[in-house]
Amino acid sequence: MSDEIWVFAEQQQGRVRKVAFELLSAGAEFSRKTGSALAAILLGSGLQEAVKSLTPFADKIYVVDAPGLASYTSDAYLSNMAPLIQEHRPAALLGGATSTGKDLFPRLATHLRAGYAPDCTGLTVEENGALIARRPIYGGKVFAEMVFSEARPQMATVRNNTFPVHEALHKSAQVIPISAQADPSFVKQKVLGLEKAAGMKLDISEAEIVVAAGRGIKAPENFKILEELAEVLRASVGTTRATVDEGWRDQKDQIGKSGKNISAKLYMAFGISGAIHHILGIGTCKTVVAVDTDPNALIFNYADYGIVGDLFKIIPALTEELKKTLAGDP
Amino acid sequence: MALDFTFAEEQEFFRQMVRDAVNRLIMPKVVELDEKEEFPWDLWKEFATLGYLGLRHEEKYGGMATDTVSQMIFYEELARGSCGFAMTAIMQILMGTYFIARFGSESIKQRILVPAIKGEKIGTICFTEDQSGSDLGGTKTLATKVEGGWRINGRKQWITNGPIAEFCTCMATVDPKLGLKGLNFYLVEKKTADRDGFAPGQKLHKLGSRCSVTGELVFDNVFVPDENFLGEEIGKGVRYAGEILNEVRIMTAMCALAIAKGAMEDAREYAKNRIAFGNPISKYQLIREKFAKYWASYEVSWNYAYKCAWMIQNKIPCTNECMLAKYHATEMCMAAVEEAMRIYGGNAFCTEYPPQRYWRDAKFLLYGGGTHEVLCDYLGRIFCKD
Amino acid sequence: MENYVLVKQVPDPEAIIKVKSDSELEVENKYFTNFFDEIAIEAGLKLREKFGGKVTVLTVDPKKVDALRRGIAMGADDAIQIADAALEGSDQLATARALAAYLKDKPFDLILAGRQAMDDDAGIVGPAVAELLGIPHVNAIIGLDIEDPKKEAKVIREVEGGQEVLSCSLPALFTCQKGLNHPRIPQVMNVMKAMKAQIKKLDLAALGLSKADIGAQAARIKVRKYLSPPKRPPVRMIKEDFPENLKILVKLLREEAKVI
Repeated sequence: MSDEIWVFAEQQQGRVRKVAFELLSAGAEFSRKTGSALAAILLGSGLQEAVKSLTPFADKIYVVDAPGLASYTSDAYLSNMAPLIQEHRPAALLGGATSTGKDLFPRLATHLRAGYAPDCTGLTVEENGALIARRPIYGGKVFAEMVFSEARPQMATVRNNTFPVHEALHKSAQVIPISAQADPSFVKQKVLGLEKAAGMKLDISEAEIVVAAGRGIKAPENFKILEELAEVLRASVGTTRATVDEGWRDQKDQIGKSGKNISAKLYMAFGISGAIHHILGIGTCKTVVAVDTDPNALIFNYADYGIVGDLFKIIPALTEELKKTLAGDP
Repeated sequence: MALDFTFAEEQEFFRQMVRDAVNRLIMPKVVELDEKEEFPWDLWKEFATLGYLGLRHEEKYGGMATDTVSQMIFYEELARGSCGFAMTAIMQILMGTYFIARFGSESIKQRILVPAIKGEKIGTICFTEDQSGSDLGGTKTLATKVEGGWRINGRKQWITNGPIAEFCTCMATVDPKLGLKGLNFYLVEKKTADRDGFAPGQKLHKLGSRCSVTGELVFDNVFVPDENFLGEEIGKGVRYAGEILNEVRIMTAMCALAIAKGAMEDAREYAKNRIAFGNPISKYQLIREKFAKYWASYEVSWNYAYKCAWMIQNKIPCTNECMLAKYHATEMCMAAVEEAMRIYGGNAFCTEYPPQRYWRDAKFLLYGGGTHEVLCDYLGRIFCKD
Repeated sequence: MENYVLVKQVPDPEAIIKVKSDSELEVENKYFTNFFDEIAIEAGLKLREKFGGKVTVLTVDPKKVDALRRGIAMGADDAIQIADAALEGSDQLATARALAAYLKDKPFDLILAGRQAMDDDAGIVGPAVAELLGIPHVNAIIGLDIEDPKKEAKVIREVEGGQEVLSCSLPALFTCQKGLNHPRIPQVMNVMKAMKAQIKKLDLAALGLSKADIGAQAARIKVRKYLSPPKRPPVRMIKEDFPENLKILVKLLREEAKVI
C-alpha cells in the first residue's frame, strides 16, 4: 500500500483529455501536501505523443500500450488496470467524470472493493492522505461531502473544469511500461465505430442545453444562426409563442406556460423580453443567459448572466467563440 | 375504531398512475385542446388504449370495474388537465353507457358496450331539451308504442359528444301529461343507410370545455325495436336516472375540485414570480388571503366529496349529501377561478395565461346535474322539513 | 428472454429537499419511480415483445415498492423486493451485493438498469452488479439491438463528441439513458394488476449474505456533511464591449457555472 495519488489519464485517439491534466494539476497539490508521489495511468494504442504530453505533469507514468486498448471497453481496461492498482494500492485514484470514467470507475471500485465518489465538483486531501469529495445529489439541490473508509484506493471521478490546469508543473515523469493482459477471449465488448452526434435531437423539455429566440429574430430563415449555435453546444432550439403563431417554428418547440416547461442546465434566450408566461416555463433551468437590446428587459431579472446587445451580431460571434473553446475539449 | 380518513394504498397508487398518464398524455395538449374546438381523435384513440373507458364495466365486456372511490379519484385526476376532454371521457364511462350496461340485452351489449369500452363507438345521454333542463317533467320528446318497437320524436339539446356520437340513451316521455311518471330511456343509434336513427343537428359553440363537442340531436320519427327500451317497467325513467344521480353529482364535484386546484396552483406559481412594487405579489397580504380562503374551502369540499363517494360505495343513502357536496365544491370552484382571475391582474384578460380557461371551463359546473337554484330550493325545503 | 430490471423509488424532482443539519436531510414525502429505470423497464418489455420470455423487476428497499408496482403496471411479469434491517446504511456497493446475491443463480439473458438514480446521482449499482456477476456491461446506452438473445447485443452509447457503437456478448448488463425509448403509459388493466400484486420479499438469509458485507459498517464511503447549494445571485450583466463580452461569457459559463 502506498500513499501515492494516481490519475487515470483518459485518452481519445492518442490525445490525453483535458480533464486528466486538470486532475494531475490538482493531484500535484495533493501529493505535495501528503508528501507522496503523483502517478498517471495511461492505456491505449500508439501512445508516444500522449506520454510526452503527460511527462511534465507526473512523477510516474504507467503505460499500457496495445492495439486492443485503442478504444475503451470496460473489460479490456479493467483487466489491465486492476492488477497494477492491486499491486500498488495507491491512496487515491482519480478520473474524469466522462462517459468512460463513469463507465469504468464503478466497476473498478467494485472489483477493488474500494470506495468511490462519482461526479465530484470538489476534492480536498488531508495530510494523512484522506480524501474529502464534494458532490451534488438530488439533481444538485443538495451537496454532500464524502469521506472514505480505510479501503484503498479512494476513488473519485471529477467533473470537467473543477480544477484549473497548471501549465508549469515542471515534473519529469519516470515512464513505466506495463505489458498488456493479452487474452482476447476475455474481452466481451468490441467497439464497432464512432459516429458524430447526428440526429437524435432531444425535445426541448429533455435537452440539457436549450437556446431560444423570439420574434426578435425577425424572419424564419434567421433561425439558421441559432441552429448553428445549437450545433456547437449540442443543444436543442426553442422559441416563443410569437414565432409559432407566425408559423415560423413548430409548436413543439414553444417554451412557456402555453408551450412546454424546460429544465435545462443551460438556457440561452436571445431577443426574448421575458414576459411572465415565458419565465414560468424556464423556472427550473440551472443557468440562464439572456441577450436583449433593451437593458430594462424583464428577462434580466431572471437570468444569471446578461448581455445588452444585438442578437444578430452576438449569436454568430458566440458560435465562433464556443467553437474555439470547446475544440480543446476531447 | 371508526373514522378512518385514509385511502387504501392501492387507491393512492392508482391515483399516481392516473395523474402520471394525464401528465404525459393530456397536459402537453391542454391549450391546443381548448383552442381548436374540435374533437381530439388522436388523443382519444391513445387514451382509449389505456383502458380507462372500462372503469365501470364488467370484465366480460372488456372493462375492469373498480370501486366508486377509485372512480372518483380517476375523475378528479382526469379533469385536472383538460376539462373538455374529461367531459367526453366521463360521458363515455358513466352516463353514456350506464343504462346500456344495466338494461341492455346481450346482443346490445356486444354491439354497443364492447366497442364503447374500446373507444370505437362514442356514446352520450340525452336529457335536456329547448324548454327543459332541470325540469325533467317538462320533457317533450315523445316515445310512441308501435308494432315491434317505438317511434321517438323530438330534439335534444346540449348533448355532450352529440356531433360525433354513434349511439345515445335518450330520455323520452310516453305522455307529457304524466310529467315525471311518463319518462323512459331508449337506446337510439345514429341513422345509417340501413338503420333508422338520430341525426346530429346544430353544433354548439361553447364558452369552455371546447374540445368536448356539444350539439343538438334530432329524432325524426325514429323507429327503435322493443329491445332498445332500457328499463324493466314503463314510466320508471326518473327512478332509474336516480341510480346514477349521486355518482354524477360527486363526479361533478371532482371536476370542480380539479379545476379549482389547477387554477390556484397556477396562480400560486404566477404570484411567486410576478414582481410588483419590488416584491413578488405572493408576499402581499391581500393576495395571501385569497389563497388562504381558497385552501380552507377546498379542503372542506374535497373531504366531503370523498365522504360522499364512500357513502355511495357503501350503499348508504346519500342523495341530499351528494347534492350538498356538488353544491359546495362548485361554489368553491366559482370563487377560486374568480380569485385566480384577479391574482393574474390584467394578464388574466389575455388568453396566453391559464386562469381564463379555468374560469370558462368551470362555469358549466353550475348547471350539470341541476342548477344551483333548483338544488337550493330543494335542499332548503328538505332542511325545513317543509 | 429472461430479463431483469433494477428499479428504485426516488424523491420526485419537485420534492422539496432541505439540509436540516450537517448529517440530516429533510426530504418531502413525494416519491416516484426513477425515470431512467422506467426507460430500462420499457427496454425489457420491448425485448419481451420481440423474443417472448419474462421481465422481472427488482428493488432493494425496506418499505417502498411503488417502483415495483409501476413495473408491473407497465407490464412486467414479476416483482422482487429485497429488504432487511441489516441493509440500513449500506453504500451502493452493498446494495449491488444484495442484488447480485439474488441474481447469481438466475438464468438471466440481460439485466437492465437506469443510468443513475435521481437521488444519489451515483450510477454505481449497475456496473457494480455486472462486476459481481462477472458479466460485461455498457453504461448509458441510447440504442439497443438484439438479433440473437443467446449471443450478443449491439448497443450505442453517448460519448463526448458523438455516439459509439459497440457489440457486447450476452448475458450482459446495460444502464439506460434518455433517448433509448419512450416509456409506455401503463394501461389500467395492468395498473389494477399492480395494485393487487403480491410482491415477493426476500431478506438476507434468503440471499445467503452475511452482515459483514452490507450495512453501515461495510460502507467504503459515507456522507460526512450535507450542504445547501450556494444562493442564486442576482444577474451578472456583462458590461464589457463586444466582442470581449462574449469571451467573458464563455469563460463564466465554463469555469463559474460549469455548464459547458
